[in-house]
Amino acid sequence: MELTTRTTPSDFLLPSIHSAPPFFTEQPAPSTRTLFIDNWSRLILAYARHRRLFTLRVEDAEVAGGDWDEILRNERINRRVLPSYLSSLIAALVANNVAVYEPAKQTRSVLLFWRLPEEWADVLHSWATASGQLNTILTFYEIIDPPVPSPLSGLPIPLLRRAIAVLTRSGRAQIIGVADGEGVRLFAGTK
Amino acid sequence: MHRLGGVGLAAFERQQESQRSFATLSSELSKAQVDHLQSQLTQFRTALSHFAKTHRKSIRSDPKFRHAFQQMCSSIGVDTLVGWREGGWWAEMVGMGDWQYELGVQIVDVCVSTREQNGGVIGMGDLVGMVSRLRGVDSGVITEEDVIRSIKTLQPLGAGYEVMDVGGKKMVRSVVKELDEDQGIILAEAEVEGGRIVEEMLVTRRGWMFERARAGLENMVMRDGLCWVDDQDEEHGRAYWVPSAMQWDKSAYSLPI
Repeated sequence: MELTTRTTPSDFLLPSIHSAPPFFTEQPAPSTRTLFIDNWSRLILAYARHRRLFTLRVEDAEVAGGDWDEILRNERINRRVLPSYLSSLIAALVANNVAVYEPAKQTRSVLLFWRLPEEWADVLHSWATASGQLNTILTFYEIIDPPVPSPLSGLPIPLLRRAIAVLTRSGRAQIIGVADGEGVRLFAGTK
Repeated sequence: MHRLGGVGLAAFERQQESQRSFATLSSELSKAQVDHLQSQLTQFRTALSHFAKTHRKSIRSDPKFRHAFQQMCSSIGVDTLVGWREGGWWAEMVGMGDWQYELGVQIVDVCVSTREQNGGVIGMGDLVGMVSRLRGVDSGVITEEDVIRSIKTLQPLGAGYEVMDVGGKKMVRSVVKELDEDQGIILAEAEVEGGRIVEEMLVTRRGWMFERARAGLENMVMRDGLCWVDDQDEEHGRAYWVPSAMQWDKSAYSLPI
Protein backbone atom coordinates (compact mmCIF):
# COMPACT_ATOMS: atom_id res chain seq x y z
CA MET A 1 0.00 0.00 0.00
CA GLU A 2 1.54 3.26 -1.12
CA LEU A 3 0.96 6.14 1.28
CA THR A 4 0.36 9.14 -0.90
CA THR A 5 -0.92 12.66 -0.72
CA ARG A 6 -4.48 13.27 -1.80
CA THR A 7 -6.52 16.29 -2.77
CA THR A 8 -9.94 16.57 -1.12
CA PRO A 9 -13.13 17.70 -2.90
CA SER A 10 -12.59 21.13 -1.29
CA ASP A 11 -9.17 21.20 -2.99
CA PHE A 12 -7.08 20.74 0.13
CA LEU A 13 -3.88 18.70 -0.18
CA LEU A 14 -3.72 16.06 2.52
CA PRO A 15 -0.21 14.99 3.53
CA SER A 16 0.72 11.34 3.03
CA ILE A 17 0.68 10.63 6.76
CA HIS A 18 -3.10 11.07 6.53
CA SER A 19 -3.19 7.78 4.59
CA ALA A 20 -1.44 5.92 7.41
CA PRO A 21 -3.95 3.96 9.55
CA PRO A 22 -2.10 4.53 12.87
CA PHE A 23 -2.32 8.30 12.38
CA PHE A 24 -5.92 8.01 13.60
CA THR A 25 -4.97 6.41 16.91
CA GLU A 26 -3.72 8.29 19.94
CA GLN A 27 -0.23 6.86 20.43
CA PRO A 28 0.88 5.39 23.74
CA ALA A 29 4.58 6.19 23.28
CA PRO A 30 5.31 9.81 24.27
CA SER A 31 7.62 10.72 21.39
CA THR A 32 5.31 9.26 18.76
CA ARG A 33 2.33 10.85 20.47
CA THR A 34 4.00 14.27 20.24
CA LEU A 35 4.94 13.68 16.62
CA PHE A 36 1.34 12.82 15.69
CA ILE A 37 -0.18 15.64 17.68
CA ASP A 38 2.17 18.15 16.02
CA ASN A 39 1.13 16.84 12.64
CA TRP A 40 -2.54 16.96 13.53
CA SER A 41 -2.24 20.52 14.86
CA ARG A 42 -0.66 21.72 11.64
CA LEU A 43 -3.24 19.83 9.61
CA ILE A 44 -6.19 21.24 11.57
CA LEU A 45 -4.94 24.82 11.35
CA ALA A 46 -4.04 24.56 7.67
CA TYR A 47 -7.45 23.09 6.86
CA ALA A 48 -9.24 25.70 8.96
CA ARG A 49 -7.38 28.44 7.09
CA HIS A 50 -8.18 26.80 3.76
CA ARG A 51 -11.90 26.70 4.49
CA ARG A 52 -12.06 29.68 6.85
CA LEU A 53 -13.32 27.53 9.70
CA PHE A 54 -13.11 29.08 13.14
CA THR A 55 -14.63 26.47 15.42
CA LEU A 56 -13.71 22.88 16.17
CA ARG A 57 -15.88 20.75 18.45
CA VAL A 58 -15.55 17.26 19.89
CA GLU A 59 -18.92 16.64 18.19
CA ASP A 60 -17.18 16.95 14.84
CA ALA A 61 -15.67 13.53 15.55
CA GLU A 62 -18.93 12.12 16.86
CA VAL A 63 -21.25 12.82 13.95
CA ALA A 64 -20.44 12.59 10.27
CA GLY A 65 -21.57 15.28 7.86
CA GLY A 66 -19.84 18.25 9.46
CA ASP A 67 -17.25 20.68 8.12
CA TRP A 68 -14.33 18.61 9.33
CA ASP A 69 -15.06 15.23 7.72
CA GLU A 70 -12.40 15.65 5.06
CA ILE A 71 -9.63 15.53 7.59
CA LEU A 72 -11.15 13.77 10.61
CA ARG A 73 -12.16 10.84 8.47
CA ASN A 74 -10.41 8.82 5.82
CA GLU A 75 -12.97 6.59 4.15
CA ARG A 76 -10.38 5.06 1.85
CA ILE A 77 -8.69 3.33 4.76
CA ASN A 78 -11.81 3.26 6.94
CA ARG A 79 -10.29 5.28 9.77
CA ARG A 80 -11.52 8.24 11.73
CA VAL A 81 -10.43 10.36 14.66
CA LEU A 82 -12.38 9.18 17.68
CA PRO A 83 -13.92 11.81 19.98
CA SER A 84 -11.49 11.01 22.79
CA TYR A 85 -8.52 11.59 20.49
CA LEU A 86 -10.02 14.82 19.14
CA SER A 87 -10.42 15.92 22.73
CA SER A 88 -6.67 15.43 23.28
CA LEU A 89 -5.87 17.23 20.03
CA ILE A 90 -8.05 20.16 21.06
CA ALA A 91 -6.28 20.30 24.44
CA ALA A 92 -2.92 20.38 22.65
CA LEU A 93 -4.06 23.27 20.42
CA VAL A 94 -5.10 25.22 23.50
CA ALA A 95 -1.82 24.40 25.28
CA ASN A 96 0.07 25.76 22.27
CA ASN A 97 -1.95 28.99 22.24
CA VAL A 98 -3.33 28.41 18.77
CA ALA A 99 -6.86 27.96 20.10
CA VAL A 100 -8.97 28.93 23.12
CA TYR A 101 -11.97 27.22 24.65
CA GLU A 102 -15.02 29.16 23.48
CA PRO A 103 -17.14 29.64 25.41
CA ALA A 104 -14.87 29.46 28.43
CA LYS A 105 -15.28 26.88 31.18
CA GLN A 106 -15.86 23.90 28.91
CA THR A 107 -13.50 21.76 26.87
CA ARG A 108 -15.61 20.51 23.98
CA SER A 109 -15.38 23.47 21.67
CA VAL A 110 -12.57 25.79 20.61
CA LEU A 111 -12.02 28.96 18.67
CA LEU A 112 -9.11 28.40 16.30
CA PHE A 113 -6.31 30.89 15.81
CA TRP A 114 -5.06 30.10 12.33
CA ARG A 115 -4.26 33.76 12.58
CA LEU A 116 -3.33 34.97 16.07
CA PRO A 117 -5.38 37.81 17.60
CA GLU A 118 -2.35 40.09 17.03
CA GLU A 119 -2.42 39.22 13.34
CA TRP A 120 -6.18 39.79 13.12
CA ALA A 121 -5.59 43.16 14.79
CA ASP A 122 -3.23 44.13 11.97
CA VAL A 123 -5.69 42.86 9.37
CA LEU A 124 -8.48 44.89 10.95
CA HIS A 125 -6.42 48.05 11.18
CA SER A 126 -5.15 47.77 7.61
CA TRP A 127 -8.65 47.15 6.32
CA ALA A 128 -10.06 50.19 8.15
CA THR A 129 -7.18 52.33 6.91
CA ALA A 130 -7.45 51.16 3.31
CA SER A 131 -11.23 51.59 3.22
CA GLY A 132 -11.07 55.06 4.80
CA GLN A 133 -12.92 54.15 7.95
CA LEU A 134 -10.49 55.39 10.58
CA ASN A 135 -11.98 57.70 13.25
CA THR A 136 -15.54 56.68 12.43
CA ILE A 137 -17.64 54.41 14.58
CA LEU A 138 -18.02 50.93 13.16
CA THR A 139 -20.41 48.38 14.59
CA PHE A 140 -19.09 44.84 15.01
CA TYR A 141 -21.49 43.72 12.30
CA GLU A 142 -20.23 46.31 9.85
CA ILE A 143 -16.80 44.77 10.37
CA ILE A 144 -17.62 41.08 10.11
CA ASP A 145 -20.31 41.41 7.46
CA PRO A 146 -19.25 44.31 5.24
CA PRO A 147 -21.07 45.02 1.96
CA VAL A 148 -17.81 44.42 0.10
CA PRO A 149 -16.33 41.10 1.29
CA SER A 150 -13.15 41.62 3.25
CA PRO A 151 -10.59 39.39 4.96
CA LEU A 152 -12.67 39.93 8.08
CA SER A 153 -15.92 38.61 6.63
CA GLY A 154 -17.31 35.92 8.90
CA LEU A 155 -14.87 36.55 11.73
CA PRO A 156 -16.44 35.33 14.99
CA ILE A 157 -17.24 38.13 17.47
CA PRO A 158 -15.07 36.65 20.27
CA LEU A 159 -12.07 36.71 17.95
CA LEU A 160 -12.91 40.23 16.81
CA ARG A 161 -13.00 41.30 20.47
CA ARG A 162 -9.52 39.87 21.00
CA ALA A 163 -8.21 41.69 17.95
CA ILE A 164 -9.76 44.96 19.12
CA ALA A 165 -8.29 44.41 22.59
CA VAL A 166 -4.83 44.23 21.02
CA LEU A 167 -5.45 47.55 19.23
CA THR A 168 -6.88 49.14 22.37
CA ARG A 169 -3.74 48.31 24.30
CA SER A 170 -1.66 50.22 21.76
CA GLY A 171 -4.09 53.14 21.63
CA ARG A 172 -5.33 52.36 18.14
CA ALA A 173 -8.93 51.50 19.06
CA GLN A 174 -11.65 52.44 21.45
CA ILE A 175 -14.79 50.42 22.25
CA ILE A 176 -17.95 52.49 22.11
CA GLY A 177 -21.50 51.57 23.05
CA VAL A 178 -23.90 52.09 20.15
CA ALA A 179 -27.66 51.80 19.84
CA ASP A 180 -27.78 48.20 18.64
CA GLY A 181 -24.86 46.81 20.61
CA GLU A 182 -21.21 47.64 20.46
CA GLY A 183 -18.98 49.50 18.12
CA VAL A 184 -15.39 50.49 17.79
CA ARG A 185 -13.52 53.54 16.67
CA LEU A 186 -10.13 52.90 15.10
CA PHE A 187 -7.32 55.43 15.06
CA ALA A 188 -4.24 55.86 12.98
CA GLY A 189 -1.08 55.23 14.89
CA THR A 190 1.76 52.84 15.17
CA LYS A 191 2.04 49.62 17.09
CA MET B 1 99.03 -23.08 0.01
CA HIS B 2 97.34 -20.00 -1.29
CA ARG B 3 94.70 -18.26 0.69
CA LEU B 4 92.47 -15.71 -0.85
CA GLY B 5 93.49 -12.36 0.49
CA GLY B 6 96.60 -13.79 2.04
CA VAL B 7 97.26 -13.89 5.73
CA GLY B 8 98.09 -11.45 8.46
CA LEU B 9 97.11 -7.88 9.16
CA ALA B 10 97.21 -6.86 5.51
CA ALA B 11 94.57 -9.46 4.71
CA PHE B 12 92.37 -8.17 7.50
CA GLU B 13 92.54 -4.68 6.08
CA ARG B 14 91.79 -5.92 2.60
CA GLN B 15 88.72 -7.70 3.88
CA GLN B 16 87.48 -4.56 5.58
CA GLU B 17 88.18 -2.65 2.43
CA SER B 18 86.06 -4.96 0.33
CA GLN B 19 83.24 -4.93 2.86
CA ARG B 20 83.23 -1.15 2.63
CA SER B 21 83.02 -1.20 -1.10
CA PHE B 22 80.26 -3.77 -1.02
CA ALA B 23 78.34 -1.53 1.38
CA THR B 24 78.87 1.46 -0.87
CA LEU B 25 77.79 -0.49 -3.88
CA SER B 26 74.74 -1.81 -2.08
CA SER B 27 73.63 1.62 -0.92
CA GLU B 28 74.19 2.97 -4.42
CA LEU B 29 72.07 0.20 -5.78
CA SER B 30 69.23 0.76 -3.34
CA LYS B 31 69.44 4.50 -3.90
CA ALA B 32 69.06 3.86 -7.60
CA GLN B 33 66.12 1.62 -6.89
CA VAL B 34 64.51 4.17 -4.62
CA ASP B 35 65.10 6.87 -7.20
CA HIS B 36 63.57 4.69 -9.80
CA LEU B 37 60.62 3.93 -7.58
CA GLN B 38 60.22 7.58 -6.76
CA SER B 39 60.20 8.54 -10.39
CA GLN B 40 57.70 5.81 -11.08
CA LEU B 41 55.55 7.05 -8.25
CA THR B 42 55.81 10.58 -9.54
CA GLN B 43 54.76 9.32 -12.92
CA PHE B 44 51.89 7.39 -11.42
CA ARG B 45 50.90 10.37 -9.41
CA THR B 46 51.01 12.67 -12.40
CA ALA B 47 49.01 10.23 -14.43
CA LEU B 48 46.50 9.78 -11.66
CA SER B 49 46.09 13.45 -11.00
CA HIS B 50 45.73 14.01 -14.70
CA PHE B 51 43.06 11.35 -14.74
CA ALA B 52 41.43 12.79 -11.67
CA LYS B 53 41.44 16.30 -13.07
CA THR B 54 40.03 15.16 -16.35
CA HIS B 55 37.35 13.00 -14.83
CA ARG B 56 36.65 14.78 -11.58
CA LYS B 57 33.27 15.85 -12.77
CA SER B 58 32.29 12.39 -13.95
CA ILE B 59 33.51 10.85 -10.71
CA ARG B 60 31.27 13.14 -8.72
CA SER B 61 28.23 13.05 -10.91
CA ASP B 62 28.13 9.70 -12.66
CA PRO B 63 27.45 6.78 -10.32
CA LYS B 64 28.56 4.14 -12.82
CA PHE B 65 31.82 5.89 -13.45
CA ARG B 66 32.34 6.44 -9.72
CA HIS B 67 31.73 2.79 -9.06
CA ALA B 68 34.22 1.72 -11.71
CA PHE B 69 36.72 4.23 -10.42
CA GLN B 70 36.39 3.03 -6.86
CA GLN B 71 36.80 -0.56 -7.99
CA MET B 72 39.92 0.33 -9.88
CA CYS B 73 41.31 2.11 -6.84
CA SER B 74 40.64 -0.73 -4.48
CA SER B 75 42.15 -3.25 -6.89
CA ILE B 76 45.44 -1.33 -6.90
CA GLY B 77 45.24 -0.85 -3.15
CA VAL B 78 44.44 2.85 -3.10
CA ASP B 79 41.93 4.00 -0.52
CA THR B 80 39.89 6.82 -1.96
CA LEU B 81 39.20 8.14 1.50
CA VAL B 82 42.71 8.28 2.91
CA GLY B 83 43.16 11.82 1.71
CA TRP B 84 40.24 12.95 3.75
CA ARG B 85 41.72 11.58 6.95
CA GLU B 86 45.20 13.01 6.65
CA GLY B 87 47.86 14.21 4.31
CA GLY B 88 46.04 13.14 1.26
CA TRP B 89 47.13 14.61 -1.98
CA TRP B 90 45.18 11.85 -3.55
CA ALA B 91 41.66 12.17 -2.32
CA GLU B 92 41.96 15.92 -2.49
CA MET B 93 42.89 15.63 -6.08
CA VAL B 94 39.85 13.60 -6.97
CA GLY B 95 37.60 15.40 -4.57
CA MET B 96 36.36 12.02 -3.46
CA GLY B 97 37.00 12.68 0.22
CA ASP B 98 34.98 15.87 0.22
CA TRP B 99 32.24 14.27 -1.74
CA GLN B 100 32.01 11.32 0.61
CA TYR B 101 32.25 13.59 3.59
CA GLU B 102 29.39 15.78 2.40
CA LEU B 103 27.31 12.72 1.74
CA GLY B 104 28.06 11.53 5.28
CA VAL B 105 26.84 14.81 6.72
CA GLN B 106 23.65 14.57 4.68
CA ILE B 107 23.08 10.99 5.78
CA VAL B 108 23.35 12.12 9.38
CA ASP B 109 20.97 14.97 8.62
CA VAL B 110 18.32 12.65 7.18
CA CYS B 111 18.75 10.02 9.91
CA VAL B 112 18.50 12.55 12.72
CA SER B 113 15.60 14.48 11.26
CA THR B 114 13.55 11.34 10.64
CA ARG B 115 14.45 9.64 13.90
CA GLU B 116 11.25 10.76 15.62
CA GLN B 117 9.23 9.25 12.83
CA ASN B 118 11.01 5.95 12.49
CA GLY B 119 12.71 5.35 15.80
CA GLY B 120 16.15 5.50 14.22
CA VAL B 121 15.75 2.80 11.60
CA ILE B 122 15.34 3.82 8.00
CA GLY B 123 15.07 1.76 4.84
CA MET B 124 18.04 2.10 2.49
CA GLY B 125 15.80 3.11 -0.40
CA ASP B 126 14.19 5.88 1.65
CA LEU B 127 17.54 7.13 2.85
CA VAL B 128 19.00 7.22 -0.66
CA GLY B 129 15.87 9.01 -1.90
CA MET B 130 15.90 11.62 0.83
CA VAL B 131 19.64 12.27 0.55
CA SER B 132 19.22 12.68 -3.22
CA ARG B 133 16.46 15.19 -2.65
CA LEU B 134 18.60 17.02 -0.12
CA ARG B 135 21.37 17.30 -2.70
CA GLY B 136 18.87 18.24 -5.37
CA VAL B 137 19.96 15.47 -7.69
CA ASP B 138 17.93 13.00 -9.70
CA SER B 139 17.42 9.54 -8.37
CA GLY B 140 20.16 7.18 -9.45
CA VAL B 141 22.94 9.72 -9.04
CA ILE B 142 23.56 8.54 -5.49
CA THR B 143 23.67 4.80 -5.07
CA GLU B 144 23.27 2.45 -2.14
CA GLU B 145 26.92 1.70 -2.42
CA ASP B 146 27.84 5.37 -1.99
CA VAL B 147 25.71 5.52 1.13
CA ILE B 148 27.24 2.37 2.59
CA ARG B 149 30.73 3.72 1.91
CA SER B 150 29.87 7.01 3.59
CA ILE B 151 28.45 5.26 6.58
CA LYS B 152 31.80 3.48 6.94
CA THR B 153 33.48 6.86 7.08
CA LEU B 154 31.20 7.78 9.95
CA GLN B 155 32.38 4.85 12.03
CA PRO B 156 35.35 6.61 13.66
CA LEU B 157 32.89 9.16 15.04
CA GLY B 158 31.33 6.44 17.14
CA ALA B 159 27.83 7.56 16.29
CA GLY B 160 26.73 3.97 15.88
CA TYR B 161 25.48 4.19 12.32
CA GLU B 162 25.17 0.75 10.87
CA VAL B 163 23.79 -0.99 7.82
CA MET B 164 21.66 -3.97 8.78
CA ASP B 165 20.18 -6.71 6.70
CA VAL B 166 16.54 -7.17 7.61
CA GLY B 167 14.94 -10.03 5.76
CA GLY B 168 16.99 -9.33 2.66
CA LYS B 169 16.35 -5.60 2.70
CA LYS B 170 19.01 -3.16 3.77
CA MET B 171 18.18 -0.76 6.56
CA VAL B 172 20.27 1.85 8.29
CA ARG B 173 20.23 2.07 12.04
CA SER B 174 21.22 5.43 13.45
CA VAL B 175 20.70 4.83 17.14
CA VAL B 176 23.23 3.24 19.39
CA LYS B 177 21.19 0.28 20.37
CA GLU B 178 21.30 -3.24 19.21
CA LEU B 179 18.06 -4.57 17.83
CA ASP B 180 17.50 -7.91 19.48
CA GLU B 181 16.70 -10.97 17.44
CA ASP B 182 12.94 -10.69 17.96
CA GLN B 183 12.90 -7.11 16.80
CA GLY B 184 14.83 -8.10 13.72
CA ILE B 185 12.23 -10.73 12.94
CA ILE B 186 9.39 -8.27 13.54
CA LEU B 187 10.98 -5.76 11.17
CA ALA B 188 11.43 -8.46 8.55
CA GLU B 189 7.80 -9.60 8.82
CA ALA B 190 6.52 -6.03 8.69
CA GLU B 191 8.62 -5.49 5.60
CA VAL B 192 6.63 -8.19 3.80
CA GLU B 193 3.29 -6.60 4.67
CA GLY B 194 4.01 -3.00 3.78
CA GLY B 195 4.57 -2.14 7.41
CA ARG B 196 1.52 -3.66 9.06
CA ILE B 197 2.05 -6.40 11.60
CA VAL B 198 -0.18 -8.16 14.12
CA GLU B 199 0.64 -10.66 16.82
CA GLU B 200 -1.02 -13.46 14.90
CA MET B 201 1.43 -13.19 12.01
CA LEU B 202 4.29 -13.88 14.36
CA VAL B 203 2.42 -16.74 15.98
CA THR B 204 1.45 -18.50 12.77
CA ARG B 205 4.49 -17.75 10.66
CA ARG B 206 7.21 -17.89 13.25
CA GLY B 207 5.65 -20.19 15.81
CA TRP B 208 5.92 -17.62 18.59
CA MET B 209 3.79 -17.70 21.72
CA PHE B 210 1.25 -14.86 21.82
CA GLU B 211 2.97 -13.40 24.88
CA ARG B 212 6.29 -13.24 23.11
CA ALA B 213 4.71 -11.55 20.10
CA ARG B 214 2.90 -9.02 22.25
CA ALA B 215 5.95 -8.24 24.39
CA GLY B 216 8.13 -7.82 21.30
CA LEU B 217 5.66 -5.49 19.62
CA GLU B 218 4.92 -3.46 22.72
CA ASN B 219 8.66 -3.01 23.28
CA MET B 220 9.01 -1.72 19.76
CA VAL B 221 6.22 0.76 20.46
CA MET B 222 7.06 1.95 23.93
CA ARG B 223 10.76 1.48 24.40
CA ASP B 224 12.13 2.21 20.96
CA GLY B 225 9.47 4.16 19.08
CA LEU B 226 9.97 1.80 16.14
CA CYS B 227 6.28 0.93 15.85
CA TRP B 228 3.05 2.85 15.66
CA VAL B 229 -0.23 1.55 17.03
CA ASP B 230 -3.48 1.35 15.07
CA ASP B 231 -6.49 0.64 17.28
CA GLN B 232 -8.99 0.57 14.42
CA ASP B 233 -7.71 -2.50 12.63
CA GLU B 234 -10.69 -4.30 11.05
CA GLU B 235 -9.41 -7.80 11.72
CA HIS B 236 -7.53 -7.66 14.96
CA GLY B 237 -8.57 -4.50 16.74
CA ARG B 238 -4.99 -3.52 17.33
CA ALA B 239 -2.37 -3.62 14.62
CA TYR B 240 1.18 -2.38 14.70
CA TRP B 241 2.83 -0.41 11.95
CA VAL B 242 6.53 -0.07 11.31
CA PRO B 243 7.04 3.34 9.67
CA SER B 244 10.41 2.42 8.19
CA ALA B 245 8.70 -0.45 6.34
CA MET B 246 5.77 1.62 5.08
CA GLN B 247 5.75 2.80 1.48
CA TRP B 248 5.77 6.55 1.84
CA ASP B 249 5.44 9.13 -0.81
CA LYS B 250 8.16 11.18 0.87
CA SER B 251 7.56 14.32 -1.10
CA ALA B 252 4.83 15.31 1.33
CA TYR B 253 5.08 13.18 4.42
CA SER B 254 3.67 15.91 6.59
CA LEU B 255 2.72 19.53 6.33
CA PRO B 256 5.55 22.03 6.62
CA ILE B 257 5.93 23.48 10.09
